[in-house]
Formats: sequence, structure tokens, C-alpha cells
Amino acid sequence: MIWYIIKRIGFAILTVLVVITIVFFLMNAIPGSPFLTEKSTPQQIELANIKYGLDKPLLVQLKNYIVNYLKGDFGTSLKMQEGAPVRDIIFRQGKFALSIKLGLISLALAVIIGIPIGCISAYKRGTWIDGLLRVVSTIGVAVPTFVLASELLITFAVNRTWFPVNSGSLTSFKSYVLPVLSLSFYYLCSIAKRTRTSMLDAINQDYIRTAKAKGVKTRWIIIKHALRNSLVPVVTYLGPVLAGIITGSLVVESTFGIPGLGRYFVQSILNRDYPIIMATTVILAVLVIFTNLLVDIAYKIIDPRINISSSEEI
Amino acid sequence: MKQTFANLSPFHVSPKRVDIMPQDYELATNSEKESMVETRKSISYWRDAWRRFKKNTVSMGALFLFILLFLFAFIGPYFIPYNYENQYRNSQKLSPFTYSEKELKVKSVEKNFSTFWSSTMQSGSMTSLPEGKYYIKNKGRTYYFTNNSMLSDGIIAVNSKWDNPVISIKESDITDGVIERSSVVTLDNPTPNEISNYSKLNTLSRVFPHMFGTDSSGRDIMARTMYGARVSIIIGIVAALIVLIIGSIYGAISGLVGGVVDFGMMRIVELIYSIPEVLIVLLLQVVLKDPLQAWFDSGSTAFSRAMSDLGTGIVSIFITFALLYWVGMARIVRGQVLQLKKQEFVTAANALGASKARIIKRHLLPNCVGQLVIQTCLQIPSAIFLESFLSFLGLGVSAPMASLGSLCSDALATITIYPFRLTCPAVVLTLIVLSLNLIGDGLRDALDPRLKK
Repeated sequence: MIWYIIKRIGFAILTVLVVITIVFFLMNAIPGSPFLTEKSTPQQIELANIKYGLDKPLLVQLKNYIVNYLKGDFGTSLKMQEGAPVRDIIFRQGKFALSIKLGLISLALAVIIGIPIGCISAYKRGTWIDGLLRVVSTIGVAVPTFVLASELLITFAVNRTWFPVNSGSLTSFKSYVLPVLSLSFYYLCSIAKRTRTSMLDAINQDYIRTAKAKGVKTRWIIIKHALRNSLVPVVTYLGPVLAGIITGSLVVESTFGIPGLGRYFVQSILNRDYPIIMATTVILAVLVIFTNLLVDIAYKIIDPRINISSSEEI
Repeated sequence: MKQTFANLSPFHVSPKRVDIMPQDYELATNSEKESMVETRKSISYWRDAWRRFKKNTVSMGALFLFILLFLFAFIGPYFIPYNYENQYRNSQKLSPFTYSEKELKVKSVEKNFSTFWSSTMQSGSMTSLPEGKYYIKNKGRTYYFTNNSMLSDGIIAVNSKWDNPVISIKESDITDGVIERSSVVTLDNPTPNEISNYSKLNTLSRVFPHMFGTDSSGRDIMARTMYGARVSIIIGIVAALIVLIIGSIYGAISGLVGGVVDFGMMRIVELIYSIPEVLIVLLLQVVLKDPLQAWFDSGSTAFSRAMSDLGTGIVSIFITFALLYWVGMARIVRGQVLQLKKQEFVTAANALGASKARIIKRHLLPNCVGQLVIQTCLQIPSAIFLESFLSFLGLGVSAPMASLGSLCSDALATITIYPFRLTCPAVVLTLIVLSLNLIGDGLRDALDPRLKK
């Protein structure tokens, strides 16, 4: 078990290094020098190159780049907040915390509502409740986040001023409702669908029949026996869910005017402020990779029978 | 249980109790022989799958819906007189199911005449009929005439009942659907040599309501939605095919060769799998834009010209799919190959001396096909989703083109005043993704009955 965890951590670190390398080479693939402006002379560019170490061979640059990133030095913004260190922009200005808060609440909502809905759907299989829940969740996974976010905004914030149009820094309860709903709905539906499937799987197992034969109440069987065993595939899905919520936050934060990391990332892309794009990509990637790591380890703890590390796994 | 019943089969009865002499046998009659012949026709894999798919009402409904959407996207444009990129004069900012005021005037002319030219129905700069010689073919007759002055805000129409049937109507002479004044066009009688000086005026298609309304520059949103749906479906299918080709080749090699090669190849897959691809996709979209543009501009080969027609946005979507999204497919194919490799029929084929190519072709591939079809089908909506997401961020399809995603994101700017501009493409997008998801689920049940619960 210890070896397994060490191996996974090693692999996660390797992945992070690969991501940094990819990002580095992509940055280098951009034509033109970052110091190229209308006024700059070739000498100035050369001086700037020497100052920032861009005259060294690519591999040396890559090494410096990785070392800098590990130290937490993400470079300085080129356009959006010219000269400001990217680290300060991301962490000191509350952007990161705001996004994390929004993301975690959405994740929690998707799990807390999605799993019971899946259970109810499986428990009431074939009834109109199951039918309704399935229709809603099937449609839910076909609506793009930005469409849902915009429609919610129009319906509940513009036409019926129940919620604020601009959620701002999420200071009141009301300002949370629409962003969290639009961010979590897709994953809520998706988790509900998965839970239903794996629950139905579990219900057909022998131990459920045994429990039934012993006279245990159906509701209790679902909670005590079926749910526990059907949660495994749902837990593995949490990694992709988090990655998706981060992606969704780019859209949701832009739509609701939340000054978080996602919105800033989108703005930096539109402004082509490369150091910010790079740093944000790496930070979010690290977040996703390490969540996946935690999920994998949790998975192993929940169900030790499954040998994830085996390459013969199908 | 099945095993318990198996023990009761006659072959397990101890030999002592079997006491049959040769004379106990008698010849079977012909009718008895015939009754033993299997009369049911053997059903091929695909026919069997189709039979199961047909029984699934939801999937059949989804298939029907998708066919409708497909026709809407690919055949629809031939049935409406509007083009996705033309800006129709005086038709800006219309609500769904309406005509512009001028289109209503043309519509009132349509009742009694066949219209050949109308400034309103022209787009962009083609809003007036230049001076010159024209001819019109109507009901087997050809009329030649000379347009002496530049005609704008007018309609050229033909009423075949008249002696001199070609008339021109000024749009300002039509009030409340009644033509108050019209001028008869003098017809020419050209000699055969002169005929080549005349250019043809085609019949206009009938005036059609703007079903989804128009945007701020007078473009018909339904025509744009059809076009966008076409672009989105094509992007989805091409991306899925890229994933299918790269993923299945990679997975098959890894599974077949095995050993160290397999180990190495699977580590690469795991690595790519754990990279959050959307972030890299965004980065690629930003980074690839300029190099791709440079390549398009310098390119003279047919390939680079074709790519240049697609634009940097779409090409970089394809590149990202080729780089990052094939890993899921590779895993599945490898799993299938590993599973199949151990099956008895492969061992048997091997023992009979079948070549490796034959085993792949005859045994492995046909058994994998079901999975490949399912995965490819489910890949299409995910590609459409990704494209629409990128378009929302302003990175997907670029300006002259439109996809459902870019239409939705264009609509966001004016969403408070014209919410239908978002609703129309968004509903089409949702229906396409929904129907493909349901078809994929149905295919899974139909092609892989073992998985069915």
C-alpha cells in the first residue's frame, strides 16, 4: 500500500513536470519575442533576453523555468497588470480563493444531491419518479454550461430580479445560487446517472439477495449494502468532475462577473498575456493532477481488491 | 443454477443402465430428418444488433431526432431563400416568425406574379439592378428587355396572362399589400447574334418568414443555425474519426505486442490521461493560431489550402484531438485486444497455423468493432461540446464561419434584448448532443448485449 502511494505520487510529480515542459515548449513556439514592441531596437531585445535568461540554450532555460516554478516564481505579467508578479496577481488578490470556494461548493452540491437522486432513481426503478429523474439527468448532460448559465441569468436575474445579475465577489447567499447551480448541474446529473447504474448493478448481487432473505428492510439494504458498494465508480469519477468544474468555472465566472481565477484566465487568453496563461494552466493542472492522486488512493482504500497499478488491468 | 441442470443431461447417466442393442435402432424417415434441419436463418452480427436497437424505443426516437437534425443542417439550406453570410437589407433585428416590412411587400406581389428580381431579397451590395440587357425564362417563354436606368427598391415580376407580361414595381408603390402603380417593361426582339449580350434573371425563391429571427446586421438566424449545425456535426465526426484511427492503432499495437513495449506505451497513455486536457487545449488554441496562419499563407499545396478554408480555430481543434483525446480509445481497444487474445478461438486459429494478419483481420477486429462504434459515437458529442466551449471563449471557429457554439456566444452580447438568438442555436446544439448520447447508449445495449442489465 505504501509502495503504491509512493508510486502514484512519483507519477503525479512526473505528470506535473511533463505539463510544465509542454507549457514551456508551447510558450517558445509562439513566434516573436515577448519584448518585441513597436519602439524596441534589436539591441534592447537582446539585452532583455540576457536579463531574463532567454539567450541560454533551450534545455537550460527549461531547467530554470522548472526551478522557478517550483520556487513559486511564475514570472511577471506582460499586459494585463504590467510588471506585477503573476504569483501576487493569482494568490494575493483573492482570485484563487474565490475560485476554489465556488468550485468546492459546486462539487459538494453535485455529490450531495447527485448521489441520493441516483439512489432514489434506482430504488424506484420503472416508476414515474425514475422516469422523470432520468429524463432530467439525460437532458442535463446535453446542455452546455455556458448555455445554462446564460439562460439562468436571463430568467432569474434579468427578467425576474430574484438574484443579482453580477455576482461580484460572492458576498451574499443570493449571489451564490445561480453560479453554483450552473456550475454543478451537469455533474449533478452525471453523478446521478452513474449512481443509478452502479446501484442497479449492486442490487443484482448475491449479498443483496442474502440480506433480503434475512428479512432486512429494502430501504435499509439500499443504504447499508448497495450504496456502499455502488459508490466506488462514483468516487473514481470525482477526478474528472473536478477538472470539469475548473473548466466550467471559466465560463461561469465570465457569465456572472465573478472576479475569480477562471475569468482572469479567460481575459488573459484574450489579451495574450502569456506568463499569466502559462502560470494559471500549470496551477490548475497541478490541482487536477493531485486531486486525481487523492481519488486514486481513496479508491484503493475503499476497495482494496482492485489492483489499479497493474498494467494488465482491463 | 445452470450447472446443476447440466449434471442431469443423458451423457452423465452411468453406462450400466444403458442397455441398447443395434436392433433397437431404426432408420429415420425423411420428414424426421427434415425436422432436425435448422430452419431459422442465421442472423449476422449487425442484423442482430439492429434488431435489438429497433426494440429500444428511446434510441430509435433519438435516431429519428438525429436524422431530422441532420436533414435540417444539410438539406435545410436548400429550402430557405436565405444564406448564412448574407446581410439582408431592412431585415435587421427581426423576431422569430416574422417578415420585414419590405419582404411583406414582395410577398404581396408573389400572389399574382412570379418574381424574378427584388432589391429586398438581394443581399449585401447587390441591392440595385444595374443598367443592361436581361432575359427571363418563364413557363417556356423567354422575354428580353433592356433596363435603361439603375433600378433600386423595386421588383421585376412576370405575369404570363398579359400581352406584355414583364413589369417593374417600385416597392414604395405597394401599400398594405395592394400594388398601386406598376410600369410595363418594353420587351426587346433581339437577333440571334445579340442574344449573347443579355444576362439571365432567375426566379426568386418565395419569401419565407425568418423562423428564428435575424441578427443585428440582418443575417437570417435559421440559415446561420443550419450552417452552424453543419459545421458542428462535421467537427464532431472528423474529431471522432481522428480519435478512432489514432486510438485504435495505438491500442491494438500495445495490446498485440505486449511486454515492455506495452508497458511503455501504457505509461505514455496514463501520462496524457492525467493531464487536464481542456487547459492544454486552450493553450494550444492560443499558441497554434499564428504558426497555423503563417502556414496557411505560405502554403500552396492542396492540403494547406483546404486547411486554410477551415480556419485556424477548427484545425487546432483537430490537432488537439489528435494529440490528447485518443487515449481513452487506446485504453479500450487495448483492453479488448488483451481480452480477446486469451480467447479459445484465437488459440485455435493460432494452432491451425493462421497468420497474425489473418487473426487480426478475421478474429480480433470483428470482435472489437462493437466497442469502436460505441466509443466513436460517444466521442462526437464531446467534440461538439468542446468546440462550443472554445467558441464561447472566442477561440473556436473564426469569423466568416459559424458553429453552434459561436452562434450562442455571439448571441450573448445582446441576450437581454433578444433572448431567442441564444435559445435557437442552443436548443439545436442540445438536441444534437442529446440525440447522439442516446444513440450511443442504445448502440452500447445493442452491440454489446453482455453489458445489458
